[in-house]
Amino acid sequence: MSRERILDAAVARIAGDGIDAVRIARIAMDAGVSTALVHYHFATREALLAEALEYSFEHAADTRTVDTGELSSVERLRDMVEQCLPLPGAQERDWVLWVELWLRAVRHPELRPTAANLYARMHIWFVEAIHDGGFDCDADRVADRTLALMDGFGVRALLGDPDMPVERAREEVWAVLEADLGLAPAAHAG
Amino acid sequence: MSPRPSTAHLRRPAILTAAAEVISERGVQNTRISDVAERAGTSAPGVLYWFPTKDQLLVEALQFSDDRFYANLTGELEQFATAAEKLGRMVELWPAEGDGETVLWMELWVRALRDPQLAATREGLDRRWRDAIADIIREGQASGEFGPADADDVALLLGAVMDGFAIQLALGDPAVTADTVKRHCLALAESRLR
Repeated sequence: MSRERILDAAVARIAGDGIDAVRIARIAMDAGVSTALVHYHFATREALLAEALEYSFEHAADTRTVDTGELSSVERLRDMVEQCLPLPGAQERDWVLWVELWLRAVRHPELRPTAANLYARMHIWFVEAIHDGGFDCDADRVADRTLALMDGFGVRALLGDPDMPVERAREEVWAVLEADLGLAPAAHAG
Repeated sequence: MSPRPSTAHLRRPAILTAAAEVISERGVQNTRISDVAERAGTSAPGVLYWFPTKDQLLVEALQFSDDRFYANLTGELEQFATAAEKLGRMVELWPAEGDGETVLWMELWVRALRDPQLAATREGLDRRWRDAIADIIREGQASGEFGPADADDVALLLGAVMDGFAIQLALGDPAVTADTVKRHCLALAESRLR
């Protein structure tokens, strides 16, 4: 489907060049469609960014929901943290889009609902896992804090901060989450 | 003919103040040097004399407003007797009152993604903020207010969580208020500094 091909190309190009610099003609060329068709599907850069983000979020969601039944509740949450880190490849590319979204959404209020929606879904994803695990804590509060830490540490790791390699981001987020969940620090070994 | 006394150095702060305003309103991409010049009451060549590129203008504007922030911070913190109160004030000053500033940071993040020089600038500014937090933590440890945690590690954690919440505040997330942010950050600090 041409719309999917356009979105695949858009995600890759936006991650590479940035939403400000990306050329619609280039996305069309990558997707093997006409520039007019890209304009037809996405009237503005904001619409293109919003759709590309939704699309890549949905794709990630496909892998997210797989096999959670086999994991313990602690493993499941560790796995969720893992999926939120800017690891090389698709997750790093999604992270670039995420950072582009922050700035763009501050300037273009029409993108705020997209951002709010993505955050709300991340929030619910964590709250559900915390509830399912039966942890004795305020799940909403823990989810909020986890997402804030994820963003704060993740952006540093993404930018290659020598003080914050992705391994450290993982450890730092997990250390707080683990304490919030009431797990003894030693309990995460497995 | 007597040489005219040069006032060029006086224009630099005015240009940087104007640049911070214009860039936070419009973004680096849509900022024109002439807009900054106009707001600063000078000419485009007058701006370009000091700042040959827009990225440089962004970096210097951030550095400049950072300097101003730290100059005020000392006075702000002097009013408080305890390190815990000082830390509380720092948290308030960061995301809650820095909306325009948050946007400049976001500009820096996006541009640093594709420019190692800007990434290095960001690291420097970030380190300065973390050091300021760590100094207050050490002050509290010296006075016996805080426990023996590694001050730099706790500062790193607080810096990150403040940024994370600043993003949500800037995005106007209705679920996140300056007050809840402060409570989150201070609870986190307290749990580490027992």
